[in-house]
Amino acid sequence: MRPEMTATLWSRTEPSPQQREKLRAFLDQRYGPTALEWVRDEGLKGGFRLQVGEDIYDWSLEGRLRQFQEKLRDLNPGREGIIPLIRETIETWDPAAAPQETGTVLTVGDEIATVSALKNVRYGEILLFPGGIKGMVQDLRRESVGCVLFGSSQEIRAGDTVRRSGKTAGMPVGDAFLGRVVDALGQPIDGKGDIRASDYRPIEAPAPGILDRQPVDTPMETGLLAVDAMFPIGRGQRELIIGDRQTGKTAIALDTILNQKGKGVLCVYVAIGQKSSSVAQLVGNLFRRGAMDYTVVVNAPASAPASLQYIAPYAATALGEHFMYQGKDVLIVYDDLSKHAIAYRALSLLLERSPGREAYPGDVFYLHSRLLERSAHLSDALGGGSMTALPIVETQAGDVSAYIPTNVISITDGQLFLESGLFFSGQRPAVNVGLSVSRVGGDAQTKAMKSSAGALRLDLAQYREMEVFTQFSSDLDDVTKRQLTYGQGLMRLLRQPQYHPLSQHRQVITLTAALSHLLQDIPAKEMKDAQMALLAFAEAQDPALCQRIDETGKLPPEDKEAILALTRRFLAERKAGA
Amino acid sequence: MKKGSIVQVSGPVVDVTFPAGELPGIREALTVETDSGRRVMEVAQHVDSATVRCVMLAGSDGLARGMEVEAPGHPIQVPVGEATLGRMFNVLGQPIDQQGPVPEGTPRRSIYRQPPSFAEQSPSVEILETGIKVIDLLEPYPKGGKIGLFGGAGVGKTVLIQELIHNVATEHGGYSIFTGVGERSREGNDLWREMRQSGVSEKTALVFGQMNESPGVRMRVALSGLTMAEYFRDTEHKDVLLFIDNIFRFVQAGSEVSTLLGRMPSAVGYQPTLAGEMGELQERIASTKEGSVTSVQAVYVPADDLTDPATATTFAHLDATTVLSRKIAEQGLYPAVDPLESSSRILEADIVGELHYRVARQVQETLQKYRELQDIIAILGMDELSEEDRLTVLRARKLQRFLAQPTHVAEKFTGIPGIYVPLKDTLESFRAIVDGEADQYPEAAFYNVGTLADVAEKARRLEAEGR
Repeated sequence: MRPEMTATLWSRTEPSPQQREKLRAFLDQRYGPTALEWVRDEGLKGGFRLQVGEDIYDWSLEGRLRQFQEKLRDLNPGREGIIPLIRETIETWDPAAAPQETGTVLTVGDEIATVSALKNVRYGEILLFPGGIKGMVQDLRRESVGCVLFGSSQEIRAGDTVRRSGKTAGMPVGDAFLGRVVDALGQPIDGKGDIRASDYRPIEAPAPGILDRQPVDTPMETGLLAVDAMFPIGRGQRELIIGDRQTGKTAIALDTILNQKGKGVLCVYVAIGQKSSSVAQLVGNLFRRGAMDYTVVVNAPASAPASLQYIAPYAATALGEHFMYQGKDVLIVYDDLSKHAIAYRALSLLLERSPGREAYPGDVFYLHSRLLERSAHLSDALGGGSMTALPIVETQAGDVSAYIPTNVISITDGQLFLESGLFFSGQRPAVNVGLSVSRVGGDAQTKAMKSSAGALRLDLAQYREMEVFTQFSSDLDDVTKRQLTYGQGLMRLLRQPQYHPLSQHRQVITLTAALSHLLQDIPAKEMKDAQMALLAFAEAQDPALCQRIDETGKLPPEDKEAILALTRRFLAERKAGA
Repeated sequence: MKKGSIVQVSGPVVDVTFPAGELPGIREALTVETDSGRRVMEVAQHVDSATVRCVMLAGSDGLARGMEVEAPGHPIQVPVGEATLGRMFNVLGQPIDQQGPVPEGTPRRSIYRQPPSFAEQSPSVEILETGIKVIDLLEPYPKGGKIGLFGGAGVGKTVLIQELIHNVATEHGGYSIFTGVGERSREGNDLWREMRQSGVSEKTALVFGQMNESPGVRMRVALSGLTMAEYFRDTEHKDVLLFIDNIFRFVQAGSEVSTLLGRMPSAVGYQPTLAGEMGELQERIASTKEGSVTSVQAVYVPADDLTDPATATTFAHLDATTVLSRKIAEQGLYPAVDPLESSSRILEADIVGELHYRVARQVQETLQKYRELQDIIAILGMDELSEEDRLTVLRARKLQRFLAQPTHVAEKFTGIPGIYVPLKDTLESFRAIVDGEADQYPEAAFYNVGTLADVAEKARRLEAEGR
């Protein structure tokens, strides 16, 4: 009978007739009549490698070591520690001569490779290329497999052997990641040594279902008066930060992270397509201000392949989920999703998927919706943890109506729109009151904030419109004039320098005094100083009141009266002093 | 049962081969067992005599070539009838409310049905009061008609649709079906809780396929909800309210899989079959002699571009359209309805009455005049206008503010309680304003109030504060 298959044997020395006979018997039994070819391989130190079709039996020294290494990597050190585990593993370890599926690189370029064969490979599985480069299966075709590479395609050549990993794309996670900077695959890049992961989570996990959630009810305080008063963010909410470049988007996110100190919130900051030096600066800042203790930074810089930039936010979310499903509160900042969309567009076009609006592929909405839906406030049955997302999107020339901005706006629970005009006129944080909104945070505001902030946002939106309209009028009625000076004063109060968070009682006192029109007569220029003086005065005069507001989050009528009385006294003294 | 196996996977599109002569028909649902449970796909095309091309109604991760696929021989079937009330389902008609399976013996219907024939059509001519001033006055909704709420991202479509549920569904005697298509899961949770609190849930069925789900789900979930509504209309002769939030996501999901199905892209990358797909769905949403379906559909306007092919295609299918505008939302005027872009087929003197028609048109004229004068004001200032034009401008600005009103749903953000304004009061208040009977009140008094009586009161309060 004519042999149907050919088996190739690599080894350093030629096999003896007895060895040949044993191999032939094995091959005939498993594959039917097979021809055996021997190739000398000086590179193999001991043992042999046998390939039949797609199957490889690796009995070389290197192969056995690699198997052992993989076995060790899969170990999950529990409470007993690693040593007994290793001992047990060594005792029970049996180097498997099981067939290992391999494929061959057919084409490679632009961080995309097609690989032959690999019959049983799963969609989304990680493939291992020579040189330690990984790839993720994105296309299963009849005769080949398409995958994106998480490394440079320079290192890979057509004809190289590819192995299956048996795992879907995932991210090592664990408490040890806090305080560290890692890349999109979870490898440390801060030069502080290995990180001991406690678990491995898929980067693409299903979002919590409708009944796995509960309404947002706890505030995620940013420490920024403009945000906490008008666009309050709750734990489990998704609030978009959107604006042109250099309008202070990252500053708001950074201030929010810094303000979580001592509040039991863990933070994940993921930089996508950013300049590495900016990320380094930000990390330095977090360290200096003691925020790295509760923060993980995931960095996929501009120099990383598009595929890594594409998976970075998913990987970071997996890290956040590790904490969220433990019942903890997590804050995750995606900086920024416009660059993420651009990376995905590059990848899609290279995979020859057809372009749509602005050349983005049709599923660019799904790209972000399935990511941001993973942020939620979990039901009590699931531990009640939460993940608050602050995605950032950059606009061009203030155009919020562009494709990616409107896509993300339609996913999030609100947006903070930053305007360069406001930014340069000194109104910082440069939040546009009319176009910004928070759809759920109102429920999460403390009673004190809610009752003192009142309808501030609507008042200001009306003020802005009035301001534009009255530019062209000479005779204004008294109601309108008062509304204008009142609005100007409020805008001044909302200015706040970076790294100067305001605690809850400071925000409540400011709002209560301002919204009851008591500060109406202070000229706009002196407003900021007057505010600070008032706060210092109140804190000195009635520290118990301040503490009560911070602790209870309530503002009963008598406390409100107390604030108003304090303000009147302050104003009287101020007038007397002037 | 016919059995086949997977030969190719590309995102949500999967090719399956079957033995010759056993190919399942187009739109049949197929199932595949994976490590993480059973998944469903739907046949979209026959690519050759042994291969079908399918769209997954779940994620594709973990699929491998050679996996066995079963063909039970029918399309997706969802439960219908009384047993669906008070429950929440996914696209496959499986309950997702953690309250166990639907009772044995509940009838099930295929999600594909023919639209009612020409002879069965029953056009509507009666006004449906919503309690929202700008809608009742300028684009009255017809009972049994099709209503679209158009708006870009974050201008308040979902808030408005929820306000309509609050105002209309609670008063409505018949059944309601709410279908969430590609929107936020959080909103699903909010709605579920709210409906149970308000007691509407006993006459409501909810169907969800939200934005975290695969395109196949978002493409079909509107049909699942619609099938439940059709059953109440055809078999139980009920008047049904059908809410769909958001119909644009249905088109969007279709475009996500279109090129993977091997179709050439059409304008702006949409599927070439856009108009056909939309027509097939929309023609089924109709009132017949058997019963009525009043549908309220939110329509997302991508990139605020009303000429987007998906949006433009939807317009033609509706009886009344409410267009929400970012410019108006920016001024803090909610609901941010654009009074000059919105329209209704029943705003005719024969249907709504002479008074309503006159007031509505006069309000529109005043606003239109103001819009034209805005350029002149910007260049020359208010002082250069004639006395008459100045009056028009002042009245228009009061009208703009008066068209806004606090809603029940937004109460939790604004702290201002919602107001329901009966049509009668709406007409009387606007009549008074356009006839010049409210010129004495300051502009701010018209903002966020209900009727003219509230304006007068707010004016007194403002004056008192001023003093």
